Formats: sequence, structure tokens, C-alpha cells
Amino acid sequence: MTEEMDWIIQSQQGNDEAFAQLVAVYQTPLYNLCYRMLGEPEAAEDAAQESFLRAYQNILRYDRQRSFATWLLSIAAHYCIDRLRRRRFTSISIDDDDEEHPMELPDQSALNPEAEAARREEQEQLHKVLRSLDATDRAAIVLRYWYDFSEVEIAESLSLTVSAVKSRLHRARRELAKRWQEEQPRTHLERSPHESPAF
Amino acid sequence: MNHRPFEDWLLAEEPLTSEQKADLQAHLRTCPSCMALAEVNVALRVTKPVAPTPGFNTRFQSRLAARRSAQRRRNFWGIFILVASAVGLLLWLTLPYLFWAFQSPMEVFITWITTLSFIFTSLLAYGKAGSVILRVASDFIPAYIWVAVFALTGLFGLLWVASIRKFANLTEGA
Repeated sequence: MTEEMDWIIQSQQGNDEAFAQLVAVYQTPLYNLCYRMLGEPEAAEDAAQESFLRAYQNILRYDRQRSFATWLLSIAAHYCIDRLRRRRFTSISIDDDDEEHPMELPDQSALNPEAEAARREEQEQLHKVLRSLDATDRAAIVLRYWYDFSEVEIAESLSLTVSAVKSRLHRARRELAKRWQEEQPRTHLERSPHESPAF
Repeated sequence: MNHRPFEDWLLAEEPLTSEQKADLQAHLRTCPSCMALAEVNVALRVTKPVAPTPGFNTRFQSRLAARRSAQRRRNFWGIFILVASAVGLLLWLTLPYLFWAFQSPMEVFITWITTLSFIFTSLLAYGKAGSVILRVASDFIPAYIWVAVFALTGLFGLLWVASIRKFANLTEGA
């Protein structure tokens, strides 16, 4: 039995310290998902905390045959989708440019400040265009690219069919490319081909 | 070669041959939409995950404690309101009788004894009447009817037990 499964079983038996271990392990993946979905550090913190609370309250319903990460991220994804849908009705803007950005994990490959600045700029641009996507499309993209979820796993997590996931991923990436082009019309790709997984 | 196959390659994200790579590179120089798609592909792959500010777990523990405390308060007030309502209703219904009982306790005692003896004698009378009916009925109701009645009663009992068990299992699995 893995250490994680041991923590899960102990959490199901009411051991709060074991659940705290799970929070420690999954805080960054869960927070990152919420941040990519909601676009604001405060909202992401709140959503991540709420998702952990929901997981804690429903830990007895967790099926040990499934991946815990998939189950947990699925709770967070659904929570963020609901929140984005509610937000659409209350018309709260998420496009504040002066917002505080959360702590990004250090990039070991950054060789010089210029490259690091360019990388940051690119990441901010991606973050911005990601906000233009529909909530479910955004969740599919985040699960695919930040968590390497397969289409089947995304379908399970978001309660969709695999074909729906495929079409959402394609549509979302086309939309992202369109927005990307609008944001930076004169940008040229200056990367060597081996850097891109696309070709 | 037109634009469509290049876009399909970029969307499929499958490994390309060196010849395909060269064709794609040439196409990217002339096609801004494919270039944007390729850039998005790269950006999605290289963007690092973001971490919460330090102390996330401690903040979670505080939030959990606050949520539990709120839940306990809600439970307490829920039970308090339920008990208070039940006691109030009971008092409202029994107050005239209580008042009467305090006014003349002996009369209440006699009424209770009379009521109890009435219930007891009624039950005895119903029992006797029932045994007479059964004795008479056994003479003209055939045996197979009795068997059917007992079998049906047993069957309904089994169905009842099975449905209770199934319901209990569903509740556990939910």
C-alpha cells in the first residue's frame, strides 16, 4: 500500500492529520487548477480551500479504485466551473491588470533575466487569453496541459463523453490561437523545433 | 500544400517526420494563424504551475475548524428549536389537563383507573370475539385459503425485509 493510500484510508477513518498530509501534497496542483480557471489569486485560494473542504466532507465517497488526484481535481474543476457560471451572471470583472500574481514555481531552465522576463510575459499573455474560454473548455485545457490528463480522464473528471472532450480541446485551442494572434499580431516564433511538442 | 493539413498536425500534436517538420516550418513563416496555434501549443507546454502563498495548509485547518464550529452551532440551534417547539406544543396540548390534575388529583386518579380498566376489559372482549370468529370461520373456510393467506403474509414480510436492506445499502453507497 502506498503512503498516499494510507493517508486516504486514515482520513476516511476520521484522522485529520492524515488529511493534512494530503492537503500538503495536493495544495499546489489544486491551487494551480483554480488559478488557471478563475484567473485571480484570491479567488483561486478560496476555491482551492473550498475544494479541499468538499473533499474532506465527501472522503467516504471516494472510490479507492480511482486515482485520488483525478477525484480531487474533478471536485475543484466542477467547483470552478460553477463559480465561473455564477460570476457570468453577477458580471464581476476578472480583467484587472493591477492584480497581484501568485508565487510561480522557479524555472530551473531560465538562464538569463531577459529570457525569464520574456517567459513571464508569455505566461501572462497565456493567462489572459485563457480567460476568454468557456468554463468547461478552460477546465479541459488546464487538465490536459498542466496535469497531462488523457481525454478519458478529462471526460471522467468533467462528466463529458470522450468525443465531446476531443471537440472541446480542438475548439478551445483554435480559440486560444485566435486570441493569441489578436493580442500579439506581430509576434514571431523564435524557438528551435525541438522545444515544441507540436512538431 | 494548403493550410488545413498543417492546422490538423498542430491540433493532433502527434510526432512528425523530419520532412513534415520542414514543411510545417516553411508554412509557419507564411501563416499567422498556424503560427499562433504553434505558439499556444508551446506556451501551454512550458507554463509552470503556480503555488499558493505559504501557510495554505494552516489556513485550511483554520477554515475547517471554523466550518466545524459553525456546523456545531447550527446543529445546537436546530436541536434547541426542535425540542423547544416540541415542549411548547406538548405544554399547549396538555396544559388544560395539567391544570385540572392540580385542581383535583383524586378525580384524575379515578379517571385514569377507569380508563385503564376499560381498555383492559375491551382487549379481553376483542380477544374472545376473535377466537369465536376463528373457530366458526375454520369450519367453513377451506384449508387451502388458510395456506394462501399465510403464504402471502410471509411473502409480503420477505419483500418488506428485502426492500429495507436494499434501501440501507443504497444509503451507505451514496
